[in-house]
Amino acid sequence: MAEGKAEKPDAAATAESKQEAPAVRVAPSPHISKTALTTRWMMSDVLVGLAPVVAMAVVLFRWYAVVQIGLCVLTCLVAETLFCWMRRRPTSIDDGSAVVTGAILGLSLPWSAPWHIAVIGSVVAIGLGKAVFGGLGYNIFNPAMVGRAFVMLSFARELGASAYVTDRSQLDVVTQATPLTIAKKVAADLAAGAITVGDAQVQMESTRQLWPLFLGNVNGSLGETSALAVLIGGLYLCLRRSASWEIPAGVILSGLVLAGAADRLGLTAFTALHHVVSGSLLFGAFFIATDPVTSPLTARGKFLFGLGVGVLLVLLRVFSGYPEGVMFAVLLMNATTPLLNRWTIPRPVGGPAPQPEKA
Amino acid sequence: MSTEGTTNVPEEGPTALERFINGVLPENPIYRQLLGMCPTLAVTNAMKPAVTMAAATAFVLICSNIMVSLLRRLLKPHLRILVFTLTIATFVTIADRFLAAYVYEMSKQLGPYVPLIIVNCLIISRAEICASKQGLGVAISDGVGMSLGFGLGLATIATVREVLGSGTWFGLHVMPASWPNWGIMALPPGAFITLGLLLAVAEWATEKRASTALWRTVRMLWSWRH
Amino acid sequence: MTQPTPGKGGYIGQAWLVILLALLYGGGLAGVENALSGKIKANKRAETYSVIPDLVPGSDPDKTDEIMVRGENAKEGLVYRTRRTDGSHVGWVLPAAGQGFADRIELLIGLDSGVTTVRGMYVLNQRETPGLGDYITRADFQDLFRDKPADRPLAVVKTDPAADNEIRALSGATISSESVAAIVNRALANFREPLRALAVERSPGNARPDEAVE
Repeated sequence: MAEGKAEKPDAAATAESKQEAPAVRVAPSPHISKTALTTRWMMSDVLVGLAPVVAMAVVLFRWYAVVQIGLCVLTCLVAETLFCWMRRRPTSIDDGSAVVTGAILGLSLPWSAPWHIAVIGSVVAIGLGKAVFGGLGYNIFNPAMVGRAFVMLSFARELGASAYVTDRSQLDVVTQATPLTIAKKVAADLAAGAITVGDAQVQMESTRQLWPLFLGNVNGSLGETSALAVLIGGLYLCLRRSASWEIPAGVILSGLVLAGAADRLGLTAFTALHHVVSGSLLFGAFFIATDPVTSPLTARGKFLFGLGVGVLLVLLRVFSGYPEGVMFAVLLMNATTPLLNRWTIPRPVGGPAPQPEKA
Repeated sequence: MSTEGTTNVPEEGPTALERFINGVLPENPIYRQLLGMCPTLAVTNAMKPAVTMAAATAFVLICSNIMVSLLRRLLKPHLRILVFTLTIATFVTIADRFLAAYVYEMSKQLGPYVPLIIVNCLIISRAEICASKQGLGVAISDGVGMSLGFGLGLATIATVREVLGSGTWFGLHVMPASWPNWGIMALPPGAFITLGLLLAVAEWATEKRASTALWRTVRMLWSWRH
Repeated sequence: MTQPTPGKGGYIGQAWLVILLALLYGGGLAGVENALSGKIKANKRAETYSVIPDLVPGSDPDKTDEIMVRGENAKEGLVYRTRRTDGSHVGWVLPAAGQGFADRIELLIGLDSGVTTVRGMYVLNQRETPGLGDYITRADFQDLFRDKPADRPLAVVKTDPAADNEIRALSGATISSESVAAIVNRALANFREPLRALAVERSPGNARPDEAVE
């Protein structure tokens, strides 16, 4: 009955507001005070956070890093323009999301990946990862990881463990296999009985030191080698609240616990700490899993999401055919995001809204 | 309530030509009706298995349409599905044996997907929608049209997947030697991605003003002639 | 409404068409099977026989005997005894099967007469990952098994083989490669001694080249 009454003044108000704009805007809650929190602001923050990682990649891999990252960013921008045009929408390249997608995709590729992999990966990331769902904000999966998964499954040889290693290069770091590949092989050989525990220790000697792993003077994908650079950029993002700290905290926590357990059980040749600083665990935790579109909304949901990524990542590292598991771990957890959102709806202040009693 | 009620059903519905045309594009089994998704996804990694599958399905569909149309006045409503399945299963078994005898290599490659034609909804839906209600001529042309449409669907998906995934078409190299094979296209995810993108293309093409106008004109001409 | 009892004509009146069709179709299928089964069997046989000269170099597919051999696991298995055109015994073709990465893999293993060397390997049936695991059907992978020792197990390595019983894994398809090697190893463990015993027993038979086995 009340609604019927309210209708008339409402209609009058609308008619009024059409005539002249009100001097003071009154809006219902939520009241968002930080008007600067735009996509563009956030994405440029992520780019600032990625700066140390990119710098480290350029120091280690020189021109390979510049070309790889540059190509990915460029292709992502072109693809974004193209798909916006195809969908007859205003172009959205100035929100910076395509640059971030390109940079993260480039940083997750090996230095040796041929140009067509960067191009195909970028187009798929923007097209299949984002545009087909309706653009930024509607995508279910992290676009950069969709592109990475597509090229990973397509060009297994060019992106597999052997792609990282060569003896014909000016770069020092690429003459040895990536730390995780070594650990994987040693664990597999030990399990198969092909080598003794003594042999395993000799083979693990090159990766026993934590310090090079932390600084990043090892082989790997462009952005993953240096834990230090990732931590600097990642902590900046968390402090600026552009990335939620709950996600990396969850990833590192469950990663440490599960990798420690795997180490105890003799399933892996690395200790828990080695697992955290090697490969792209940190890079994934701070830069990939924290994508606000594809991770849960609530703090509790974010932490659970992080825990899930960490668990899947260690399981994939220990039991799958791949040495690393960040990509598939993030993609799988992306799929659970709507579920986590539903499970972790926060309790409104003052308890739930009163429901009418059932007759 | 009489079980013999079907004997006096007046035969109406689309003509043979309409049935044929509808099957190929406007009601394309794959792009319009989304029927027969199992073979669509499973055997389209190359042209050869796709075309073999399309041919086997065409054989079963046309034969089942013929049988069902001939038997349509004898069908009892509550036993019709049983008769349809019996007919389809028989022709699928015949197709399977013929493939094993004359195209052994393809039969090995298609494996369980030939027997699975039995559960291809396209065939039973045509029996239900067309063959059990219309005469032999219409049923045959419906079967041929739908088979062509199904084959067209399989062939388009297989073309995309084989060219991108293996750089070949019908096993012949069509891409330059330096072509990097997109492995994912030969794998199951490639089937889903290709089907999705081609569905979008089909939707986009039929949405176009020009093609809509064309279809409208063609349809108008038919309805005017009859 | 649904009727608990059949309507006019009873069960037969209701179902005569289904029964008649079932008989008709059954008869038709029997006819098709009768007409084609010979050809289908011949297809399967022809595939095996077409690779015999390649699996055991020097053998003549027309001079091959199919014999049942009791393996170490006490089960009988079909083994092809291959002979030269003049009838002398050159080796064995041993069918073997086992679990691959995706599904069952069926192989043919070519052996010399004394079961000391693997002379060849051929993948009859497989459903490994297209583009990776299905490379086990490629000639360059199958040739890796040529002239490997048959007296000890083969090992799959990811680097260049160091020992003569090592086989380089396909990159990206280690599990498929290992499955093939494991199937070969298991079949050899099962049939090595029985076949050797047969070869010794048969060796005077070489003097009588046209001796029929069965």
